Amino acid sequence: MKLFKDKETHKDYTIIIGCGRLGASLANTLSDEDGNVLIIDKNKDSFRKLSPSFGGLSIAGDALDLDVLQEAQIDKASVLVAVTNNDNANIMLAQIAREMFQIQRVIVRLYDPDRKDVCREFGIDTICPAILSAKEIGKILINMPKKEYMEEEL
Amino acid sequence: MKTKVLLVGGRTKTKSLAASLIQKGYQVTVINNFYEDCLMLAQIDKLRVISGDGTKPFVLEDASASEADIAIALTSKDEDNLVICELCKKKFHVKKTVALVSDSRKTNFFYKMGIDSVVCAITVVTGIIEQQAFMEKISSLVPIGEGRVNIAEIPISETAPVVGKKLWEINLPKQVIVGCILRGDTTMVPRGDTRILAGDMLILISSGKQELAAIKELTGR
Repeated sequence: MKLFKDKETHKDYTIIIGCGRLGASLANTLSDEDGNVLIIDKNKDSFRKLSPSFGGLSIAGDALDLDVLQEAQIDKASVLVAVTNNDNANIMLAQIAREMFQIQRVIVRLYDPDRKDVCREFGIDTICPAILSAKEIGKILINMPKKEYMEEEL
Repeated sequence: MKTKVLLVGGRTKTKSLAASLIQKGYQVTVINNFYEDCLMLAQIDKLRVISGDGTKPFVLEDASASEADIAIALTSKDEDNLVICELCKKKFHVKKTVALVSDSRKTNFFYKMGIDSVVCAITVVTGIIEQQAFMEKISSLVPIGEGRVNIAEIPISETAPVVGKKLWEINLPKQVIVGCILRGDTTMVPRGDTRILAGDMLILISSGKQELAAIKELTGR
């Protein structure tokens, strides 16, 4: 949750790539918090997931195309979040953002935790849903009395 | 010991590359994500074929990537090739990595990411097509340094405007030099006062896309 706090205090220009459930809800949250947000997705229909009150910009196009990134004014962004459903595309986007455009904060969602290694040395933050979920489920199992746990399941 | 080469992705390219490398005595392993392509590749003698996604570390491990001397990424997606090469380099410490790129603007970025050799197929192919279609006077053109420098063989016919002239009398563009003259059985490195004769073959070294202007100056076309 550190990620959200940072953005509350700064008011950065954030670029989100991939308007899936995660990308869209992140964009909605940042927009509600009055942040500058731009979201990119290959598929125009994906933008239906954005809330009606979404006040940011959206571009339909392939973010791996440098023209699309220029259109998004990537050089002015301070945060880039790559959350497409393709791990390799996310990695490449993050590295482009970091090395070609020197963006301060780059965050990547990776389904496969084994691919983390290639991001580490570039100072790219990685989020792995599988690992996070496993930790959370572990916590629930430890903290919850057995009876409540049974009720939750029903 | 045999040099071990790992090829990841690709279909027809991989097939012909693998066959040619095996013939030259390399030990070749291929990773391919499509089962049908794997069956096709498995028909090649002495080729080890692994079916799986080469961008996944455990598949690379199955293919014993850590023992490979050269890894070549040939998939059609730039992002996949980048990740394959980075994994080979960082996780499996492969000495040399080669990536195919389709977007030529990403070539420098790939080098920056630590990939040893980046091949942009589109640049190479369009270069050759251009050469074949518009410059029938040149018998061969070799691009060097991503096509920034070209070495070309230019035959000088009897009707060429430069016949009988000394090199310093010819108004060649600045970025072009005549590196060598092939005359009959002899080769010579020319000086400013070397005279060009009909039937000479000039070896032209040019940078900055100046070869067309130079060829026009030399052959009159």
